[in-house]
Amino acid sequence: MLKFLKQVGDYTKEVVQSAKYIGQGLSVTFDHMRRRPVTVQYPYEKLIPSERFRGRIHYEFDKCISCEVCVRVCPINLPVVDWEFNKTTKKKDLKHYSIDFGVCIFCGNCVEYCPTNCLSMTEEYELAVYERHELNYDSVALGRLPYKVTDDPMVTPMREFAYLPQGVMHPHDLPAGSRRAGKTPQEIVAETQAAQAKVSAISEGSSKG
Amino acid sequence: MNPGIDLQGTFIESLQGFGIPAGAAKAIWMPLPMLIVLVGSTVAVLIAVWMERKVSAAAQQRIGPEYIGPLGILAPLADGLKLVFKEDIIPAKADKWLFTFGPMIVVIPVFLSFLIVPFGENLLISDVGMGVFLWIALSSVVPIGLLMSGYASNNKYSLLGGLRATAQSLAYEIPLALAVMAIAMMSNSLSTVDIVQHQSGYGLLGWNVWRQPVGFIIFFIAALAECERTPFDLPEAEEELVAGYQTEYSGMKFALFYLGSYVNLTLSALLVSILYLGGWEAPIPVGLISSTFNISDATPWLQVVTGAIGIVMTLLKTYALVFFIVLIRWTIPRVRIDQLLNLGWKFLLPVALANLLATAGLKLTFPAFFGG
Amino acid sequence: MNLAEGVQIVSFGILAAAVLISALGVVLLKNVVYSAFLLGGSFISMAGLYFLLNADFVAAAQVLVYVGAINVLILFAIMLVNKQEEYVVVKGAGVRQVATALVCLGLFALLGTMVVSTPWAISSVAPAGDGSIVTIGIHFFTDFLLPFELVSVLLLIALVGAIVLARREFVPENLSPSGEDEALMLPERPREMVSSRDDK
Repeated sequence: MLKFLKQVGDYTKEVVQSAKYIGQGLSVTFDHMRRRPVTVQYPYEKLIPSERFRGRIHYEFDKCISCEVCVRVCPINLPVVDWEFNKTTKKKDLKHYSIDFGVCIFCGNCVEYCPTNCLSMTEEYELAVYERHELNYDSVALGRLPYKVTDDPMVTPMREFAYLPQGVMHPHDLPAGSRRAGKTPQEIVAETQAAQAKVSAISEGSSKG
Repeated sequence: MNPGIDLQGTFIESLQGFGIPAGAAKAIWMPLPMLIVLVGSTVAVLIAVWMERKVSAAAQQRIGPEYIGPLGILAPLADGLKLVFKEDIIPAKADKWLFTFGPMIVVIPVFLSFLIVPFGENLLISDVGMGVFLWIALSSVVPIGLLMSGYASNNKYSLLGGLRATAQSLAYEIPLALAVMAIAMMSNSLSTVDIVQHQSGYGLLGWNVWRQPVGFIIFFIAALAECERTPFDLPEAEEELVAGYQTEYSGMKFALFYLGSYVNLTLSALLVSILYLGGWEAPIPVGLISSTFNISDATPWLQVVTGAIGIVMTLLKTYALVFFIVLIRWTIPRVRIDQLLNLGWKFLLPVALANLLATAGLKLTFPAFFGG
Repeated sequence: MNLAEGVQIVSFGILAAAVLISALGVVLLKNVVYSAFLLGGSFISMAGLYFLLNADFVAAAQVLVYVGAINVLILFAIMLVNKQEEYVVVKGAGVRQVATALVCLGLFALLGTMVVSTPWAISSVAPAGDGSIVTIGIHFFTDFLLPFELVSVLLLIALVGAIVLARREFVPENLSPSGEDEALMLPERPREMVSSRDDK
């Protein structure tokens, strides 16, 4: 009998404890209700893509020397380079260039290896079309100037989380000129260059002395 | 007991004033309350859906529907319209007749149960003597519709969902009925009107929650399970069963399921508020205020005000409960089927029985507090 | 005839037709699932008839017990039966069916004549209506106490029987001694033996 009573008591204790935990969970959920939404209201607000964002590829027809390096480094040999050897000038005449963004994985190898820098990454990511063949961009489409979120008067540009000042969680209503947490890449470059200059100056000094 | 406003009598009299015979006038009156309740419950469902979406969004730090009408209030309407215009697909090798009848059998009893929901002392379709019992009986028909649609869909997920739904609602019907029985024992009646009146007079303090805290929790959990709301939404557990018995449905038939589940949710919230939270009673009794200002109960404007307060109070309590249920949805993870049945049979049932026994004992010892 | 009587007669006709048609469907249809669903329809129509007779409680109990529990259990049993079996026509099915029909018709005729010929003592007492629950309760605890208690004992026996059937006294050990199957099995914690009494 005593054992049975103890069992009942233990069970009741467990029930009470689980009820307590459920209450804690409910209070967490309830607390979330008064927090500001973290979502970006997309067509009206857009995040500013980061510096290293890999969006639609921009291409400059005039810079291209038809070397086909982009094709060779591409994981699936995607860019189509249509050229003809001109016997008089002994150079390749580029006729067409196209990339199918329905197949592209935006790895950025072509941009990395292009010897003339005629390929570059843009911040564009809104590539939706009605038919998949429309994603096959030719040199004209590839050469269009990229769209910029900050220049669009219809859109409120918002900084991504990593670009917010220290301790700020929401990109709304930031004071003008507020600076992101940590160092910017330019500063890091400047610092390393300064340090290197110092090191080389010391080493030069030591070699002299 | 004051008779309140006799809407029926006034309506029939005014029709007779236009030269319509008494029988015809009565025939015109008869469908009106039903129609009003049908439309009212549909509107209540739209509000519940809107609330569910808005509260879910808030709990997940989103905004939710925002641009369809002010604060997205028209979003559920747009959902419904979309479903109406969608193609009605009957899958190959499905049983056409059962597939069509399933959703109807699910929806009709739920709407019928609104028969017994009072919004005020005289604001209900019919004060049936067995009130809540009728609701329990009607809600036990729903699993048949679920089984039917699960079987007819020619889909294993549907069949499993239907079977799970049935097992669940069979298991939780019993603690639900036992919790209701304790209430009925206290108020000496199954009629919803009598149950609310038994709680009236003392405002907030007279509500049944204080006398039946255990019953309240049991009823609430069982009602959650009956509505297939999280944490008991196993019949439509997305990860396992796609959408359970609704998997193969589209268009209007799916809309019926959707409507049915939300009507059921609102209905359960309504019944919790009627059985345990004093129904149309305000936290401070209206009669007390009117008597302090020396206003007679028979004053017509007071009766209108009382009726309005009753409706507002019932809806307030109901939607507070719906809010709580949505909050629970985003707090508690889904239980497993064995945990569900364990909770139903091994926890709720014995506790409900003990509660009933304790209520009976308390009623005999303190007849003043627990109904004589 | 006033409005109420008209409504009553029309609904009686509809309900009676529903009872008859669905009951015939239960017997005559080949698909056992249809039969089970139609059985539910027949029960519900019966509940409607009880409603017409002002017996609210009996009607609701009919829906709750017969439709909500028994019919659902029948459906459950049908849908959980996991046996594939080809439909084989029994030899001499025609003769059997005719014989069955004859027996049924004979029974129907017998009952029909009984119903028609019996001088029914129709009670002139007004139906209890909303107070019927109280009346039924009083009867249960006064003159029908013994049958009521006996029925509850019967239910208790059924309950105990169900528990005995459902409860496994032992879990069979791993049936395959070879190690090959173990690789295919999911790691599970060893099950505790369920026994009726405490061991310690």
